[in-house]
Amino acid sequence: MISTEALVDKVVNEVLRQLKSEGMTEKKDLKVSQINFSEIGPAKQGTIEDEVVVGISPAFGGHFQENIVGVPLKDILREVVAGISEEGLQFRILRINHTADVAFIAHTAAKLSGSGVGIGIQSRGTTVIHHKDLQPLNNLELFPQCPLMTLDTYRMIGKNAAKYAKGESPEPVPVVNDQMARPKYQAKAAVMHNFETKYVKTGVKPVELSFSFN
Amino acid sequence: MLVAGVDIGNNTIEVALAKVEENSTVFISSGIAATTGVKGTPSNITGIRMALEDALRKASIDMRSLDLIRLNEATPVISDMAMETITETIITESTMIGHNPSTPGGRGLGVGKTTLIFHLDKVKSGEKVIAIVPRNVDFEDAAIIINKAVSSGVRVEGAVVQKDDGVLISNRLKKKIPIVDEVAYIDKVPIGMPAAVEVAEQGYTIKTLSNPYGIATVFELSPEETKNIVPVARALIGNRSAVVIRTPAGDVQERRIPAGSMVLYGEKGRTSVDLDEGAKEVMEELQRIYPLQDAQGTSGTNVGGLLAKIRSTMAELTGQKPEAIKIQDILAVDTLVQQKVKGGLANEFFAEDAVGLAAMVKSSRLPMEKVAKKVKEELSVPVHIAGVEANMAINGALTTPGTAKPLAVLDLGGGSVDAAFLTDDGKIKTVHMAGAGDMVNMLMGAELGITDKMLLEDIKCNPLAKVESLFSIRLEDHTVKFFDSPLDPKIYARVILLKDDGMIPLPGDMKLERIRTVRRETKEKVFVTNALRALEQVAPAGNIRLLDFVVLLGGSALDFEIPEMISDALANYGVVAGRGNIRGKEGPRNAVATGLVLSE
Repeated sequence: MISTEALVDKVVNEVLRQLKSEGMTEKKDLKVSQINFSEIGPAKQGTIEDEVVVGISPAFGGHFQENIVGVPLKDILREVVAGISEEGLQFRILRINHTADVAFIAHTAAKLSGSGVGIGIQSRGTTVIHHKDLQPLNNLELFPQCPLMTLDTYRMIGKNAAKYAKGESPEPVPVVNDQMARPKYQAKAAVMHNFETKYVKTGVKPVELSFSFN
Repeated sequence: MLVAGVDIGNNTIEVALAKVEENSTVFISSGIAATTGVKGTPSNITGIRMALEDALRKASIDMRSLDLIRLNEATPVISDMAMETITETIITESTMIGHNPSTPGGRGLGVGKTTLIFHLDKVKSGEKVIAIVPRNVDFEDAAIIINKAVSSGVRVEGAVVQKDDGVLISNRLKKKIPIVDEVAYIDKVPIGMPAAVEVAEQGYTIKTLSNPYGIATVFELSPEETKNIVPVARALIGNRSAVVIRTPAGDVQERRIPAGSMVLYGEKGRTSVDLDEGAKEVMEELQRIYPLQDAQGTSGTNVGGLLAKIRSTMAELTGQKPEAIKIQDILAVDTLVQQKVKGGLANEFFAEDAVGLAAMVKSSRLPMEKVAKKVKEELSVPVHIAGVEANMAINGALTTPGTAKPLAVLDLGGGSVDAAFLTDDGKIKTVHMAGAGDMVNMLMGAELGITDKMLLEDIKCNPLAKVESLFSIRLEDHTVKFFDSPLDPKIYARVILLKDDGMIPLPGDMKLERIRTVRRETKEKVFVTNALRALEQVAPAGNIRLLDFVVLLGGSALDFEIPEMISDALANYGVVAGRGNIRGKEGPRNAVATGLVLSE
């Protein structure tokens, strides 16, 4: 509808940038470390406006330690909250127990967030930025193709959520689209989701978790 | 007798349909379509047919029952425009001007030698350094390394970071230092050079590095060297953070690009003016020799190219030789263009001065007979060429309730602003000024850095708002509008355009206030300037005060703020100005078409 010319320009630049940066060996060795969450207690309604609440799925960091393509969940969570912190906002992490649906996880987090902005992350990596005033199946930004998301994407998701909470107008996080991602990962995604649903505890309220870097 | 008045304009073709009897004229309907091809050429026929069909359909009349078509003798005015940047900023490795990351870390001023973070352990205790942190260092690692260096006595005074990690690193440091982040080409930062990093409190701007004497103090510069760093300081004014590195050869230059000069031939003599002296100078010189008879640009320069292009387009149209085409008006406007800084380290943009130029050409006569013949052949309806456009416009304008002779009209179009004045005794004087709606688009595009033409047109024509929550928006006049059901999340937190058919989100981090300011300033620079210039030409004794009524016509008179701006400016001269309302119902459109029907 708007600015197609500018959009094409941007996409081309992004692709060029990626082509250029390929082959640069900047990757850190990712140590797979267990996430040690300690439950603080039942999640309370947020009262401060400068916070973003991150909701994680029932099996996140428990049964599952890595997302669908083997990126440690700890690193994913770390990048998301780093993004929020870089924007100068605070974060809370909640374990959502009553559903494994990423839309409802994000919406629950948003409703408990003081700013009204929440992020929902599933174990396989699918992520949603949500707002309390939206219908659960609606969203601010949705990232459905989890196999294609990098840690940089998760950092930007945290930043954008924080910007929404500040009332700024962030550019939506650019996402990669791959037609082959679906056939390639559909089976694995379904199995992971089955496991995830196994840990759903109907009627159990969200729990606040402590999280520290390292 | 069923008569259709057809007005071929630069952007639209308008039709007025009426039943003309012995002593009464009853208007039936009006039609409008986009102009196909260049005004006054046979390719207009498609647009004419569409506009006619539009009017006929509204009245449920068949094309065959049409008795006569009256075409206007279109004023052969063609305008064209171009823009030239006249300054250029080049940096050679000394600073990051125009780089203003949204979230720098810490605050204060730090001075030291640039040192890669990996080499901090080799620095002697007590030495002052600025840490350079490339992308592959994690923010926690960076904080640990810096903290360790500080505890062993190294004075880490500031940091320059490649990733957007400024706040994250700052939060983890024992001793707070200013940190500038998002420096894309950090590998270009020279190592081992004295550097200064400054970050201001949120809501404030830097004080030391934006002041030439501040930089001189930091780097102990001589008076001669201080002179050289003035452009650096100037470029950093208004930033929240900055880095200045002192290298032996480092320099920022502001260069004026030779855009060429113009020779203006007027009735009162001739004069020459350089485009890079700015728009004000050009307009002053033009005023001095006005009315303009012709303008020439130095060949091989940008101005030369622009003027030559207009000449050849016009020559092709009229079948005249390019040398016979005379440029009869020029509008130059100062503007700013967002340009990427050459040699920048962080993809910086800097606002460079530029001059936008519109030029207008009037030839003796457009080949309207050809158009008329073609229309007659295609539609099998008799065609008359009925009269001069300006006279027709005045005829039409007089159908606005509340108007009387003497009357001035201002036709605000896409390519030019035209004025006509009708005296008590029925004499008509007309004038055409270069630059109108299309020029506003060009200038806004340059200043806001938008290339999408559709988007620019939308920004020009619609008011802005900011979506503050899913149930409320704040309009550009700062009032709030509430909604019962949640808005589309696609527009949440965005700056939007309030179009008739919905709310359109604008891309990216464009600020409402800035777009509004640029939009209004550009409209003032083009339309208000040209309205005054045009009225001065047609007013009795060149005095706008002697006009009583000014009726605004044309597509741009439909704009939501241009008529108010012009009314406002003319109120200073005691002139009543307002948007026309042709036949009491058409608004500012359809004046010429209506005038054509009424002619004879």
